[in-house]
Amino acid sequence: MIRNALILSMLSSAALFANDDIDELKKQIAQLQQHLNTIEQTQKVNAQKELNDRIATATKSSSSFNQSAFLPDMSFILDASAVSRNIKNSEYKAYNMPGFTETPPVGAETEIPFNKDRGFNFNYAEVALHSVVDPYFDANVILHIREDGLEVEEAFVTTRGLPYGLRAKVGKFRSNFGRINAMHQHAWNFTSQPLVYEALIGGEGINSSGVQLQWIAPTDTYLMVGAEAMQKLTPESPNEENNLYIGYVKSSIDIGDTSILGGVSLAHSKYFEDEAIGLVNDSDIYGAELTIKSIFDSYSSLTLQSELLSRTQKTAGGSTTQAGMHSELVYKINSNYSTGVRYDWLNKNLDNQPDDLERYTAMVEYKPFEFSKIRLQFTHDKSKEFSGEQKDINEVLLGITIEAGAHGAHAF
Amino acid sequence: MKKIVLITMFLSAALFAKVNVAVTYNYLGEITKEVGADNVKVVVLASPKFDPHFIVPKPSLLPKVHNADMLVINGAGLEIGWLPPLLRSANNSHVISGAVGFVDVSRTVDLLDKPLSVSRAFGDVHPQGNPHFSSDPHNIIPIAMLIAKKLQAIDSKNSAKYQSNLESFISKWNSYLAQFDADMQECKTKKVVQYHKLYRYILGRYNIESVGTIEPLPGVSPSSKHTIELIDKMRENDVNIILQDVYHEQKTAKFIASKSNATVRVIPHDIGSVEGTDSLENLYNTIKDRLCH
Repeated sequence: MIRNALILSMLSSAALFANDDIDELKKQIAQLQQHLNTIEQTQKVNAQKELNDRIATATKSSSSFNQSAFLPDMSFILDASAVSRNIKNSEYKAYNMPGFTETPPVGAETEIPFNKDRGFNFNYAEVALHSVVDPYFDANVILHIREDGLEVEEAFVTTRGLPYGLRAKVGKFRSNFGRINAMHQHAWNFTSQPLVYEALIGGEGINSSGVQLQWIAPTDTYLMVGAEAMQKLTPESPNEENNLYIGYVKSSIDIGDTSILGGVSLAHSKYFEDEAIGLVNDSDIYGAELTIKSIFDSYSSLTLQSELLSRTQKTAGGSTTQAGMHSELVYKINSNYSTGVRYDWLNKNLDNQPDDLERYTAMVEYKPFEFSKIRLQFTHDKSKEFSGEQKDINEVLLGITIEAGAHGAHAF
Repeated sequence: MKKIVLITMFLSAALFAKVNVAVTYNYLGEITKEVGADNVKVVVLASPKFDPHFIVPKPSLLPKVHNADMLVINGAGLEIGWLPPLLRSANNSHVISGAVGFVDVSRTVDLLDKPLSVSRAFGDVHPQGNPHFSSDPHNIIPIAMLIAKKLQAIDSKNSAKYQSNLESFISKWNSYLAQFDADMQECKTKKVVQYHKLYRYILGRYNIESVGTIEPLPGVSPSSKHTIELIDKMRENDVNIILQDVYHEQKTAKFIASKSNATVRVIPHDIGSVEGTDSLENLYNTIKDRLCH
C-alpha cells in the first residue's frame, strides 16, 4: 500500500519535470523497487526462520503442565539455643506458678514450648507458606517441625476484597488479642513468653480454630476494631462447642518520628464442664497495651512496650481476679546490634497466694545480616515453685534464629 | 435537617471527588501531581530521610493505604521489606497487587544488573535487578505515562485532562532533559566509588565509572578488610570522589576520604532528602551539581 503510494507520488511529481530528468527518475524508481524487494525478501526469510525455530523448540517441549510460577512463597525459620540454668532439667520441667498454674501430677510435665533443657535446645524449624488462592482469598500455612513431631502453628485463609474496610480470616490462627499474642516467637524481642501470658492464658497463647473479622475506620487516624469467635482458650479446654469470644480496639498516632500504638482487648471464655478438671466457670481476660517507638534513623530506634492483663473468673461464691503486666524497653543501636530489658510482674493473685511474682530479663542481640540473629539473654526469675518450694531461677541463654527464603516483613 | 446537610455533603463530596493516591516515595508523588494536577490528592508513605529499603511500617501508614484509590510503588523489590505487611492489613481491595489501582513503575524501566544467579550469599540482592532507577531523569517520562494510563482507568471522566497534563509534562521534561544532557557532557567526574549501588543508573547513562562500593555486599555493613581493599583500589584507579547517601553512617566514607585524598559527596536519593530538592527539577539539578563539581 505504502509502496504504491510512494511510486504514484514519485511518478506524478516526475511528470512535472522536464523530459531529460525522466530517465534519471525512472532509474531511481527501479532502484527503489529493487531495494524494497530485497527488504521484503529478508522479512520473509526471517519470518520463515522464526517459524522453523519455534517448531524446532516445540518438538522438545516438556513444560506444558509446568506450574512452578504458581508455587507459594516459602520461607523457613530455624530456632535453636544453648542454655545454662541453676535448676536441674528433671526439676525444671515440673515447675508451677503459685495460684496461677498447678504442679503437674507425677510423671507429667509443665508445658514449656521453648528452651526447656539445660544444654542444647532445638526449638523448631518453621515452614511458612503464603499464596494468593484466587481473586477472593489468600492462604497462609505455618508449620512447626519439632523433634517430637509436626505441629500446625497456623493455617488460615483471609479475604482479599471485602468492601467497607473489612477483612475476614478463617482457620487456625493466633488471636490479635493484645500486643504479643499474634506475634510468632521468633519475632519477639525476648526469647521467652511474657510471664503474664503464660500465667493467665498458657504457653501457646490464644491460638485456636475460629473466625475473625477486622474493620479499619475510613479516617486519617488509624482505628481498627476486631471480633473473633474461637474454639477454646487453651488446648486443655474440652471440644463440646466453641466457647471463646474476643474483641479489641486499637489505634495509633504519630508525634514527629515517634509512633504510639495503644489498644484494649477482651477475651470471654464461656463456662464448660470437664470430667477431668470439673466445672470451669466463665472467665474474662482484659488486656491493655501500649507501644511507643521513637525512630532515630533508618537503623536505630527506641521502643517501650507494655501490656497489662487481668483475668476475672466466676466461682461458686463470687469471683476471683488475677493480674499482671510486662514492660520492655528495647534500643536498636544500628543495623547490627540491639539491646533491651524486660520486667515481668504478677501483682494480683488468689487469697493466700503470693501476689508479688517477678522476673527480670535482659538481652543483647547481634544481627550479622537482616535474615539471621544471635541473642544472648539473661533471666532472673522469682515466679516459680518446685514441688511447693519457691526457688529463684538464673538462666543464661544463647540463641540463634535464621529466616531464609521469601522475604519476611519487618514488624512495627 | 441533619439528613439534608449530610446528603449535600455527600453529593458535593462526590462532585469534587479527587482520586486519592498513595505513593511510596516523594519522587513518585511529584510525578503523580504533574499528571493528576487538581484531580488527585497525593499522600507519601516513606520519609525521604530514611533508607528506602527500611521504612518502619508504622500503624499510622495504614489509613493512608486504606483510603487510597491508587497506590504507586517503585517496585523491583525496593518496598519488599515494609510494604507487604501494610498492604495485607490495610483492608483495601482497590490497591492490592493485581488490582487496577496497584501501580508498579519498575515495569516501565529497563532494569540493569539483573543477577544471573540469585542467592543471599551475595547479600541483599534484588532478583529483578537494581531498583534505584530514579537516579536517572530519563526514566521519569515512562513512569509518568504509566501513572497517566492508570489515572485514566480509575477516573475515566477526566481522561482528557490527564492526557493533556501528561503531554505538557512530557514536553517540559524533554526540554529539561536536553539541558541536563548538555550539562552532563561537561561533567568533570569520570570515576567514583559509592556506598551502595544507589546511583547505578545515572552513572551508567553518562559513562561515569563506579569502581567499587563501601559496603562489601548489598545490605552488609562495611568491614575493615573491605575498606582497606577499597582504599587501595581507589589509589590504583585514581578515584577521588565518594558518593554517599543521606541515611547511612558517613564515618567510613570520611575515613576512606582521609586515606585516599578523596572528597565525600552526599547525593540525594529522593525529593526532600537534602535541602533544595523540593521538585523533580531541583532534585536532578542537585544530583548533577554535587556529582559533577
